Amino acid sequence: MPTVGSDVVIAGIGETPVGRLPGWSPVEIQAAAVLAALRDAGFALSDLDGLINLDPYATPNSMFSSTLAEHLGVAPRFACTVDVGGTVTGMTMLQQAVWAIESGYCEVAACVYGENALTGRPAGAQGLHMHNLLGGEEWEEPFGLHGMVIPYALLAQRYLDLYGATDADLAAVALVTRRHALLNDNAQMRKPMTLEDYRASRQISSPLRLLDCSLVSDGGGALVLTRIGRAPQGRGRGVAIRAIGMKTTHNSVALMPDIPELGMAAAGADAYEAAGMGPEDIQVANLHDAFTISVLVSLEALGFARPGEGGALVRSGAMDLGGRWPLNPHGGLLSQAHIGGMLHITEAVRQLRGEAGRRQVEGARRALVSGNGGIFSVCGAMILEKP
Amino acid sequence: MLDLLATSPNPTGASAPFWDACDRGELLFPKCGRCGHLFYYPRRHCPLCGDTALGWQRMSGRGTVFSHSHVHVAFQGGAWSGQLPYTVVLVDLAEGPRMLSRLIGDDASTVRGGDAVSVVFPRIGDRRYPFFQRAAAG
Repeated sequence: MPTVGSDVVIAGIGETPVGRLPGWSPVEIQAAAVLAALRDAGFALSDLDGLINLDPYATPNSMFSSTLAEHLGVAPRFACTVDVGGTVTGMTMLQQAVWAIESGYCEVAACVYGENALTGRPAGAQGLHMHNLLGGEEWEEPFGLHGMVIPYALLAQRYLDLYGATDADLAAVALVTRRHALLNDNAQMRKPMTLEDYRASRQISSPLRLLDCSLVSDGGGALVLTRIGRAPQGRGRGVAIRAIGMKTTHNSVALMPDIPELGMAAAGADAYEAAGMGPEDIQVANLHDAFTISVLVSLEALGFARPGEGGALVRSGAMDLGGRWPLNPHGGLLSQAHIGGMLHITEAVRQLRGEAGRRQVEGARRALVSGNGGIFSVCGAMILEKP
Repeated sequence: MLDLLATSPNPTGASAPFWDACDRGELLFPKCGRCGHLFYYPRRHCPLCGDTALGWQRMSGRGTVFSHSHVHVAFQGGAWSGQLPYTVVLVDLAEGPRMLSRLIGDDASTVRGGDAVSVVFPRIGDRRYPFFQRAAAG
């Protein structure tokens, strides 16, 4: 059973402003996030000897960890670029950092992702403009499938057919994350959303409407890890990584297992078993929400709701602040910003420190962060705990 | 009916027989000579047992809709605006494997999960593509 039972903790978090950052390049955004995380942890730039990042999707770069190291002005003993997919990339970065620190390669490691996917995309591009290929092009592009919305639409239509769910179930996710984003000063979406707004938004790829889709964003997020004893004295805010579960089942939508067999259930089961916990032990649910459907599928795979009942759970208010499992208090990818899920992790840390201000979840001791890359192709579930 | 558009595939040595068969109006899937696994999409080895002794099986071309989506945005560029909305389908073929394709025909807009479909091979540019249409009722 994969466990992360070490004394390595998340000692610092860093976020840049999100939304539009004209004039900023991806490496500049990542550097700003790392510097913010180092400051938050109480470290100097010169303390940094481990660096793990993901290169920008809109403008892929090779060797981006050395690009960032040089730009920052550090010469780390351990550096690598990780691209697993979605928020699982962030979890894998943390895993790499834990292993690098435990094995003595470095003492202070930063994990970071950020880019200018909004202002840096070509004029006229639709949605997230990715220059990198995903490998299924020969079996997708000739049939009109391009990008990530259509595969998620196919998943969403299957969900509706399988469980008799409706657009009200999808809308509930969009509405709760928007309510939460209104409590976050660093969120792209600042206007309230009603069910009527949701239903008036244009169809992108049925059954998904514009307001089912996450944002395209500029911005960055970073985490700094170190051993408990290495963190600057008196901070006492290190957040522990109790467990990370992962599962890769496929890549392209044609080979996606049916909803009950998606890898999220296996990833969650591994994480719960490793931590000796279940959904009842979680107070904050930061679930990957690239699309509204992603949350419904994840809620059910992770045991927060029975199959087909995710929408009812969200509509019940259980995922609102003040409810049993507040969902993405920062607003998530749907209403805060899409920074590859890095801000799901920074928000979890902030909540567990009790520093989330007016969106603070009362009594937050443990957060579950879920992620998936591709079309639930790679799934991850991670449990973070307050010290 | 508007002219159909399709982005050309870039076949490998392993997948070229699939596309060549489409040009002849045949749907061929790879089948493992060792364990008998019939699969999609073509590879140089069997993804079930790893064997490389593969053959091809002619498919009936009949199947049912696992899921579908009507696409309203020209993700592949402005040239696709005239195709909108078009319908992408996941088809469970009668012999088992699932493939992604495009559903064409005037009745594509009312398709539902589980509906019967059958393969057609429209010529678009210099190739024929394995698209699907709804099977005639009854």
